[in-house]
Amino acid sequence: MSFPAVELRQVTRFYGARNTGVAALDGVSLACPAGTWTAVMGPSGSGKSTLLHCAAGLEQVTTGRVVLAGRDITAAPDGVLTEMRRRTIGFVFQNFNLIGSLTAEQNVAFPLKLAGIRASRKDVRGVLGSVGLADRATHRPRELSGGQQQRVAIARAMISRPAVLFADEPTGALDSHSAKVVLELLRDMVRGAGQSIVMVTHDPAVAAGADAVVFLADGRIADRLDAPTTHQVADRLARLES
Amino acid sequence: MLRMSFRTFLERWQLFAGAVLSVAAGVALVQASFMVLVATGEPRIPEGLSRQEDDRIREGFVGAATVMGMTAFLAMFLAVFIVSSTFAFTVDQRRRDLALLRLTGGSRGQVRVLLLSESVLLGLVGSALGVPIGLGAKHAQTWLLVEIGLLPDWFAAPWRWQAVAVAGVIGVGVALTGVFAASLRAARIRPLEALRETGRAGRVMTTSRWLLGLSSAACTVAMVVWAHGANLIGAMLAALGISMVGAVAMSTLSPLVVPFTAWLLGLLLPGSLVVASLRDGVRRSAATASPLIVLVSLLLGLAGTFGSLAAAGGEEAKRSVNAQLVVTSTGARAERLPGIEGVAVASRQNAVDITITAGERRSVYSGIIAVDAADYARTHALVPTHGDLNALTGDTVFVGPAQHSEWIRAGEVLTAEAEGIPLSLTVVGGLPETLEPGENFVVPRRILPPPVWENAPTESVVQVETEQNPDVVAERIERAGIGEVSTVADWAEARAGRNQAGNMKILTVLMGLAGLYALMAVVNSVVIAGTERRREFAVFRVSGLSRPQVVRTAVAEATSVAVIGLVLGCAVAGAGLAGIGGSVRAAIGVTVVHVPWTLLAVVATGSLAVVAVTSGITALSATRQRPVSLIATKE
Repeated sequence: MSFPAVELRQVTRFYGARNTGVAALDGVSLACPAGTWTAVMGPSGSGKSTLLHCAAGLEQVTTGRVVLAGRDITAAPDGVLTEMRRRTIGFVFQNFNLIGSLTAEQNVAFPLKLAGIRASRKDVRGVLGSVGLADRATHRPRELSGGQQQRVAIARAMISRPAVLFADEPTGALDSHSAKVVLELLRDMVRGAGQSIVMVTHDPAVAAGADAVVFLADGRIADRLDAPTTHQVADRLARLES
Repeated sequence: MLRMSFRTFLERWQLFAGAVLSVAAGVALVQASFMVLVATGEPRIPEGLSRQEDDRIREGFVGAATVMGMTAFLAMFLAVFIVSSTFAFTVDQRRRDLALLRLTGGSRGQVRVLLLSESVLLGLVGSALGVPIGLGAKHAQTWLLVEIGLLPDWFAAPWRWQAVAVAGVIGVGVALTGVFAASLRAARIRPLEALRETGRAGRVMTTSRWLLGLSSAACTVAMVVWAHGANLIGAMLAALGISMVGAVAMSTLSPLVVPFTAWLLGLLLPGSLVVASLRDGVRRSAATASPLIVLVSLLLGLAGTFGSLAAAGGEEAKRSVNAQLVVTSTGARAERLPGIEGVAVASRQNAVDITITAGERRSVYSGIIAVDAADYARTHALVPTHGDLNALTGDTVFVGPAQHSEWIRAGEVLTAEAEGIPLSLTVVGGLPETLEPGENFVVPRRILPPPVWENAPTESVVQVETEQNPDVVAERIERAGIGEVSTVADWAEARAGRNQAGNMKILTVLMGLAGLYALMAVVNSVVIAGTERRREFAVFRVSGLSRPQVVRTAVAEATSVAVIGLVLGCAVAGAGLAGIGGSVRAAIGVTVVHVPWTLLAVVATGSLAVVAVTSGITALSATRQRPVSLIATKE
């Protein structure tokens, strides 16, 4: 593909009044090529989550431009952003964010339903099967463990084959075994289906699974590592925080 | 989307229980009122009743129809009010769920559709429950209307199939109207809010809330001002309007008052958790306070209005006669009054049983008095709007206060019939409208054959000679065996009391209804608020509070909110009374206002008790689980 999956150009995000407020992002430029996995790291308050929200069109940038899957969404109206959430982007979060009143398979089929597309039961079961939950299709979220809930959330993000998946601490609430399973699933999405992932994490071991790690400090990009190892990531992070 | 609404409905039924009950009660009352109303519209009055009896029954039917109309209107208003405040509250409680819907690709329209389909479900379930309850309500209403004397005991309102259709339309309509504003609010929730751990409580005072609050407040003030210049019917309508619109204004603006109260309370209890919770849960507080505001403003507003009007009527009656004593007797006995020592003038007013028909209008059988015009003019202060009482001789008639609005002009000839004798009476003047209905027609006694007035119930207004003591004269009249004597003040007070009694009956029906609704709404919002605070209570407990301390905090907070609701409700009722006071002043020249203190005390104690007990029970049940299990759960 010729264009990056996500591109931020000189993005600034202010909170509060222009002259007294805080810049959560301060002139950030970043391009994540299609079919890659980028991890975003940094100390608390460095602007990681704001970057993710701005890149996904959940928050408006104060200045600069955001291009998502080849489309400039900087000032896109709500209808366009809604349409993109249905077809182009997906989300996976630390707290799973499943709809409590729907079963696992209904949760997975939900985004397609909102888009007016009829998802066949076979497709839905297939996706659930690929995350290892074929036998949990009719369970409600509260009947599933944390790891299982997160896998349902990933299945939901997979079904519409989004170009970009945004993940915020996807393994933050999971035990180490479940975390490993979830990371494997994310890796398959990038390698197998050519989708892109932008992921915020605190965990150097998780970040090391990505193709590149971007370090943020005080709203600016402080460093970048390609093909990182856990040690390298931990090292850089320690240096940033000291 | 419909399936999701259905599931939400089943899963979170506690959130909707109150709204379903209010719709059901609204549907039941509207349906029952509809059936009674239709039945009073086609009265089947048995043959062979006297004309007065027939008239009395017909009047009762009109009164019952009015009460039923007011009941249906009030029930719908309250149901819409409660559904809308419940939904505004639940939308806030479900912010994260709705944001999640937006995050997974739901459009604003889909969020609206979700809420509106929930409301249709709510309306259907409410109607289904309301129809059978309505049958019971119909019996209860009929019994009540018979009991208070508006309807005869043989009255029956037959079942009508149309009532089911009415119920369904009302149920769904009420639910849709109530949810509409909330659905617009919900559609504005941003997807990002799904990602916040606790769900940011949205700005409580939104632009639309400001607009609604301020415009209702302006409307209330306008009605208070207008009532000052209005006639009494207008002022009564204004008082009802002020109670309702004022309640909406205070409810929407109550979030502004809550922080102020929290600040006041903070002076007494610095650093208290109650104060912090009050300040933090502004929306929760507003949801609890608004049904109380409606309750207090409606009950006190209506009771105060009716009470003030009755008191003013008594005052006006006292001022309208220029005499000291009133004697009740028969027409024949009253003829002996002028002969009693010390009596200067005795204006005998015989309530005669004759018929007067004015053109195409309905014949009048009651409220017709026969007088001696000269005596009447000397003892009454009411100035005719046109004509002269001295002209009331021969075949003439004066239009009484009760017929003022019929526009019967001077010179018009009315047909009358007394004991089978036909008469033609020329209108020579008319009296002004009074607070109390008063007489329909005044005729000269001399034109009637004696049997017509001799046995008629008679009220004689007696002016005592200046050098005489009225008490002594009263004693002489009683000793002469003429009739019962009372002072003008006592007579006016008794009249006001009789009038008040009739109004109080109607008022009791309406107040019971409003009270029932407000109770449901208060319990509903306290329960929702308490249940949704499980996690917060758990945090309190892991921070070192004991379970009783958490419960006490919740009760103290809910009680403070109830006090805010009561005070704001009193403010609205006060505005209503100011309006009626102004109107009374314009009508009779003095301000007469009746403040229903007993009712206020009962309502205040009752609602504080209900709020305290409900919040206590809810907090107890919300803290039953061990705190750690609540804090650890994710979904």
